[in-house]
Amino acid sequence: GLRRCLISMNLHRVEESFRGIKTAIQAKDTFQNVTILSPSETLHGIKPLDVCCVTKNLLAFYVDRVFKDHQELNPQIMRKISSLANSFLYMQKTLQQCQNLCHCRQEATNATRIIHDNYDQLEVRSAAVKSLGELDVFLAWIDKHHRGTSAAS
Amino acid sequence: DGVAVLPAPQNLSVQSTNMKHVLTWSPVTVPEEIVHYSVEYQGEYESLYTSHIWIPSIWCSPTQRPECDITEDITATVSYSLRVRATLGSLTSTWSTLKHRFNQNSTILTPPGMEITMDGFHLLIKLEDLGPHFEFFVSYWRREPGAKEHIKVVRPGVLPVYLETVEPGAAYCVKARTFVKAIGRHSAFSPTECVKVQGEALPL
Repeated sequence: GLRRCLISMNLHRVEESFRGIKTAIQAKDTFQNVTILSPSETLHGIKPLDVCCVTKNLLAFYVDRVFKDHQELNPQIMRKISSLANSFLYMQKTLQQCQNLCHCRQEATNATRIIHDNYDQLEVRSAAVKSLGELDVFLAWIDKHHRGTSAAS
Repeated sequence: DGVAVLPAPQNLSVQSTNMKHVLTWSPVTVPEEIVHYSVEYQGEYESLYTSHIWIPSIWCSPTQRPECDITEDITATVSYSLRVRATLGSLTSTWSTLKHRFNQNSTILTPPGMEITMDGFHLLIKLEDLGPHFEFFVSYWRREPGAKEHIKVVRPGVLPVYLETVEPGAAYCVKARTFVKAIGRHSAFSPTECVKVQGEALPL
């Protein structure tokens, strides 16, 4: 079959880490009628060919922006966010192993830009909190689109 | 802020077997006093992006023993930095940091303990419970020339496992090894164990 660049990782523990902070983080989100990931405009329309590029771009979005911009004092939440951030870092490394299969078409680049534009519309702390609160959308999307045998590792 | 007059803990090291990770260090001793320790960690993400942030270990901030089970702190297959300091009342030592960063992919994987049993003419295997990270590859065959080797993948928590319906008078052999998807490694196989089924072999 067509070799694909997939994340061959058990997401159960990552989802568990998110469930541990979901309520607390979403409670801090003061802009309930706004979304950063805008799944209907971005993730839902992604074709299999663009899955790797969108995944790579969104992992970078979270690693380079969201986790950095969020400031947390609660040790329990800090631990969960650290677990998420380091797991995302690991996923990035996994995708790097097969980046020759991870091409970015315009559709994928457009979807990523919408998310960055949404993020820039809000004050940075609010944007980071909202993006963290929407992690379940991204994790569910990864879980759905990264099944099968990966060319990585 | 307590003046750092306590000596810092020395000889930090991590022992990791079957995805259980324990940080140990040499105790700081003060006659007739109880010294406490605090452990903090930093994943590769923090080192790269937020290097000022250190996270208190879930079980050892503080602790009285010169060791810390960091298994639940290490939650991704990236490298982690770990540090420890001693505290006695308001006195606090400087931090001691583990010389080499730790990654769970260096854990020692041992062959699994297993127990072969018969339930009537059903061959069963009971495997050591090593936690949620572990899958088992069970290999079993009938002990006769040219016998085919069968492989069964066993997920965590499924015990005991049915392998095969056996024939009287025949002998069957089994071996198993573990696989940890999080680090993409497996253990060595356990020693092979064989069992002889009671009764007369069936006529050909």
